[in-house]
Amino acid sequence: MDENNRLRDVFDAVADPTRRRLIRLLAESSELPLHELTAQFEMGRTAVSKHLTILKEAGLVTDRKVGRETRFRLNAAPLKEIEDWVGFYRSYWNANMARLGRLLEEEDE
Amino acid sequence: MSLALEMDFQYKTTLEKAWSALTDSNKLSEWIAENDFKPVVGHRFQFRHQPSEYWDGVVDGEVLIVESPNRLSYSWATGDERHTVTWTLTDQGNGTVNLHLDQTGFTNVHGLEGARYGWGGWFEKFEQVL
Repeated sequence: MDENNRLRDVFDAVADPTRRRLIRLLAESSELPLHELTAQFEMGRTAVSKHLTILKEAGLVTDRKVGRETRFRLNAAPLKEIEDWVGFYRSYWNANMARLGRLLEEEDE
Repeated sequence: MSLALEMDFQYKTTLEKAWSALTDSNKLSEWIAENDFKPVVGHRFQFRHQPSEYWDGVVDGEVLIVESPNRLSYSWATGDERHTVTWTLTDQGNGTVNLHLDQTGFTNVHGLEGARYGWGGWFEKFEQVL
């Protein structure tokens, strides 16, 4: 799904701590069924399922049926949007700070 | 969208020299961009970077905090982005000065939500899966 077709903004999706934890859990294994994810939380499976739906709408999670269970998998690509944002300023300052380093060295000479 | 960026840089220098590099307009023009900066609270200034196809290069700022030689903060606005840049200078005692940069801000309402829920730092720990 591209950015414009997504039902939900990736920034909304990661605004919630439960969903951030779900993303992390899914990042640590290739695929997890709902009951294994639910076991990590105090809330019930309906609540966890709701959060997974929001992550799905943001394109962050995909699911597939295997027999009677649904397995969830992370699709990290939309998180790029956030990384690019931070990454722009990170490289901006890295370049500036390298110039500052040279300026301070010249003063020393 | 929101931005929460923290970076640290160490230089072999003195607090006074580092402070001067952060606050003297001529020096700033050598490592950030051409500017009319003055370390005076309330002073409005611009950093004028080389414009590109995507960016006019102009950053509008207002000086917020001047605590020589340890802390300097100014607003940082360009396009729809409204950020705050804060520098904290620490003498590490071995001829080294640490410059800590903290840049936070928003481009729109999503940013306000993001900052409230504090996902800025969370994301950085997550870079390995991308």
